[in-house]
Amino acid sequence: MFLSILQSEWFKLRKSKISAIILAAPILTFLMGLTMDGFEFIGDDEVNDWLLFFLFSNLTYSLLFLPLISGVFASLVCRYEHQAGGWKQLLTLPVTRGKVFMAKYTLLLLLVFVIQMLYVVAIFSVGTMKGYTDAFPMAIIWKSVFGGWVAAFPLVALQLWMSMIWKTFALPLAVNVFFTLPTILAVNSETYGPYYPWAQPFLMMYSVEESMDSVFYVPWDQVLLVVGGSFILFFFGGMIYFSRKAI
Amino acid sequence: MEYIVETKKLTKRFGREYAVEDLHLKIPKGEIYGFLGPNGAGKTTTIRMLLGLMKPTAGSATIFKKDVQKEKIDVLRKVGSLVENPSYYPHLTANENLEALRKILNVPKKRISEVLEIVRLTEVANKRVKGFSLGMKQRLGIAASLLHEPKLLILDEPTNGLDPSGIIEMRHLIKRLPTEYQMTVLISSHLLSEIDQMATCVGIISKGKLIFQDSIEAMRKLAKQKIVLKVNNHENAWRALLAKGIKAENNQDAIFLHEESDDGVAEAVQTLVAEGYAVYRVEEEKRSLEDIFLQMTSEGNLK
Repeated sequence: MFLSILQSEWFKLRKSKISAIILAAPILTFLMGLTMDGFEFIGDDEVNDWLLFFLFSNLTYSLLFLPLISGVFASLVCRYEHQAGGWKQLLTLPVTRGKVFMAKYTLLLLLVFVIQMLYVVAIFSVGTMKGYTDAFPMAIIWKSVFGGWVAAFPLVALQLWMSMIWKTFALPLAVNVFFTLPTILAVNSETYGPYYPWAQPFLMMYSVEESMDSVFYVPWDQVLLVVGGSFILFFFGGMIYFSRKAI
Repeated sequence: MEYIVETKKLTKRFGREYAVEDLHLKIPKGEIYGFLGPNGAGKTTTIRMLLGLMKPTAGSATIFKKDVQKEKIDVLRKVGSLVENPSYYPHLTANENLEALRKILNVPKKRISEVLEIVRLTEVANKRVKGFSLGMKQRLGIAASLLHEPKLLILDEPTNGLDPSGIIEMRHLIKRLPTEYQMTVLISSHLLSEIDQMATCVGIISKGKLIFQDSIEAMRKLAKQKIVLKVNNHENAWRALLAKGIKAENNQDAIFLHEESDDGVAEAVQTLVAEGYAVYRVEEEKRSLEDIFLQMTSEGNLK
């Protein structure tokens, strides 16, 4: 049953002209990479050009693009249900609300994963076009991209929850923008930054250390604790809200 | 009798207000059950509880002898529904709308063209629903509810907002369902005339309470005609009729005859004339179903 709901969700979303939204962040990253010249360290043997460009791009990507785009998707998967009685129709089919919530959430996670992959493609394309000669730091980039994806789990759950509450398309988006902007401040706080859902993907993606001893600046156990804890909070909060909602 | 839908003391309270109170619905198999009541009487709330969209405050609902709360999935597998305004995905075409549902219902693809044929939307199957008229959206909603060949169809105000030809079409369609597809239909409306033309059973709800539930014939019997006689000195005239063994009722300014046959009326008039009373008028007073409905619902309001 879960798989058929997921297929149905993908079908409904697929027809919502989403390719532009999926491609927005990778394309912007690509264009920014191409146009911004003059990384002083290019040619310097001590710093890997890929890594430098990657960390630079992470600033805009994980701080802005990723949380904003995932918020747009969360709004989209609820929008067509809010518009004309979709919830009513969907929930009178032989489905449980838990599985409907799970399907929408899974779809969002898959989309974020796709965007993360395209982001790597964008980074790689720019580097290739600019003729970086250093070795591609495969391990660091994969860990960073994968870690950023996992760190987005709580945020996506929260965004889905908000989108289910508010019928208008604009309100959850506005709230999302409102909370995305102060992320730049939040990440500067070592104490509070990790607890701010909008900052979690950035902290995961950006905190790759030069020294290879620990790939993640934030230790794994702390990440698991904070990301895992907030995931449980937002995921089950949203699910319980949806299960009890009178339609 | 086998009941497809049965509710026991079904109650929904919003704050202090009872939207639905102690409802005992009984919907026999193969009937078209007209669920009648003024707007705000609790029809949609009842239907939402039947479909598990809302939890009852108290009481229970059973469909196909299964508790809606406990075995919701099993129940919904055999129920098709259309609640209030038609539900649809505006960005999808009629075909795609049904496809999104079909993926979940796991029925063969050919059902889509079949149900579109039933509601006569085949020609616009590939047009976006956004641009559909209300009637077309309503028909698409019916098509969606028929997709998985349900055994019970629940339609909440299905003719709301339709033009006259749309209403007639919808009526024909609904009437066909029990015989052609062995369905039981629950249809709600605030218009008696509509129920009168489709339903075989009626339940009337007013202020959250069920005030009548029986066959449509039983309801029609309540609408029997009455013969009214207007005479001079009707008090004495009435006594004269009674003395002759003619059953009658004395009202404020007229006599009501219990007998309705032509002979009976003729006999009563002849008696009165023979006794020397002046007969001013002999009238037939018809109580329409509408009158009965209004009377019932207003009595319900007084409580």
